[in-house]
Amino acid sequence: MAVEKRARRSSLLRGTLPFLLTCWKLNLAGAMEFRLSFLLTAGMMFLNNTIWILFWSIFFSRFPSVAGWELSDIMMLWAISAGGYGWASMLFGNFNRIAYLVAQGELDVYLTQPKPLLLNVLASRMSLMAIGDFLFGLAMYVYIGEHTLGGLLRFLLALFLSGLFFLFFTLAAGSLAFFIGNAEGLAYQLFNSYVMFTTYPSDIFKGFAKTLLFTVFPAGFISFMPIGLLRSWDTGFMVTTAAALLLLVSVALLLFYGGLRRYSSGNRMVMRS
Amino acid sequence: MSQVLNRLGKKTAKYIAVGRITLKQQLAYRMDFLMRSMFMLLILYVFMQLWTAAYSAQGGGLQATMGGFSLKDIIWYLVLTEAFSLAFPRLCTQIEEEVKNGGVAVRLLTPISYNGYQYFVYMGEGLLRFLILLACGSAIGLLFVGPPEFGGGWAAFAALGLGNFTLAFLLNLCVALCAFWVEETRGLEFVLQKLQFTAGGMLIPLDLMPHWLQQICVWLPFQAVLYFPAKAAVSGGAGLGGYLLLQLLWIVLLGGLAAWIYARGVRRLNVNGG
Repeated sequence: MAVEKRARRSSLLRGTLPFLLTCWKLNLAGAMEFRLSFLLTAGMMFLNNTIWILFWSIFFSRFPSVAGWELSDIMMLWAISAGGYGWASMLFGNFNRIAYLVAQGELDVYLTQPKPLLLNVLASRMSLMAIGDFLFGLAMYVYIGEHTLGGLLRFLLALFLSGLFFLFFTLAAGSLAFFIGNAEGLAYQLFNSYVMFTTYPSDIFKGFAKTLLFTVFPAGFISFMPIGLLRSWDTGFMVTTAAALLLLVSVALLLFYGGLRRYSSGNRMVMRS
Repeated sequence: MSQVLNRLGKKTAKYIAVGRITLKQQLAYRMDFLMRSMFMLLILYVFMQLWTAAYSAQGGGLQATMGGFSLKDIIWYLVLTEAFSLAFPRLCTQIEEEVKNGGVAVRLLTPISYNGYQYFVYMGEGLLRFLILLACGSAIGLLFVGPPEFGGGWAAFAALGLGNFTLAFLLNLCVALCAFWVEETRGLEFVLQKLQFTAGGMLIPLDLMPHWLQQICVWLPFQAVLYFPAKAAVSGGAGLGGYLLLQLLWIVLLGGLAAWIYARGVRRLNVNGG
């Protein structure tokens, strides 16, 4: 048993981690091939998020406080949401293309490679736009965040959790393609809606909608972080968030690997993309 | 004279046929309509919650008026701007794909103006979507805040509606034609979209913006796309003449700009094979 554990740890250190690092290095090198395009795409995403902040600034110039939220909370909400989505898409950029890959039969190429399937699929792409999102998240923190060690650690934790929520929720939505065929449209809309709900204060929602945001559509865990984690550490909220994330990860993995058993394709010859 | 008219009629018929075919094509994508409608309902729901929370915090509560807008006015304003905004087709993606895969060469060979073709496809696709989205948005508006009290605003809205589609097309065309120079136009398209959201008054009417920003927005074309028709509708048609005139002016200016970009860009185009 101990030997088996040691062997698994050694395979992780010698095989999987170097493989992941190589993937990320090559993805970045690939992005740098089209440097102008890369700069434009990442820069535009940064600008795009800044324009949203402009909207919120205008909004809060009329209404200084909405459901207890202030402009600084919204800015940090955007920092967490964009930054979390950013790192997840930089390192595991295929997470919102699962439905497409399944529907097009493009998983074949990954199935033939001697690497952990899901990790291989996720890490084989880097989103250029997401780099702009990630940098935007950091810039927001530098601009308005709490510049103490505690504040920095809480912000990094919020980024980390937010990225995981994005990754596994979208993975679960994309895995529906194994069960209902062409689920690209549905997965895309679910993803879009998820992004939208993570960028509005969770406290404007009441009753059933609020319940949904903290259960089957767990965007509320991200959108409450400026209050429940960044303003001050709320143990109850953090424990619930950890439990919800654990449940979401389990559901997403179950859907992916359960669905994989039903996967079939027309033996398409494709390049990894 | 009759010959000229005859030729003009035939030319127009070509473009109308393009619009008609696009309309028929669109009817086949019922799922797409359903998805867009669902997304619109979600957005409107979120905005209703946001604006309700904002108005509740005011002195007069939900009966308060801000910048001449009651909560009901704001909700109906958003129904209209969202319906327009979600109905506008993704022109940049289409043109960028055509340039990348060389499909643009086929278009250039056909005896039809490239920009004219794109315009009628845009209108065919956008107008049908708009009607469906408007119906969906109206349903949620009726349910949450009751029927609109537009009066003469409906006529003003219809009068400005066609111009705003044309203007949205021209703005997008100017960005989309950059595909002749750069590989990706998605970033530029994002920025344009967000400028329409903010400076165009999609998310918040210009009247509620700070004075200095209103002064800037007055000089930009974005207000003529979403703000003019929605504002004219909720204010019962007030200011229609000025809005129409400004819209026309921007159409002429941007039409000229798009033609100039196209003329320069198409000269740079190299397509291998076919």
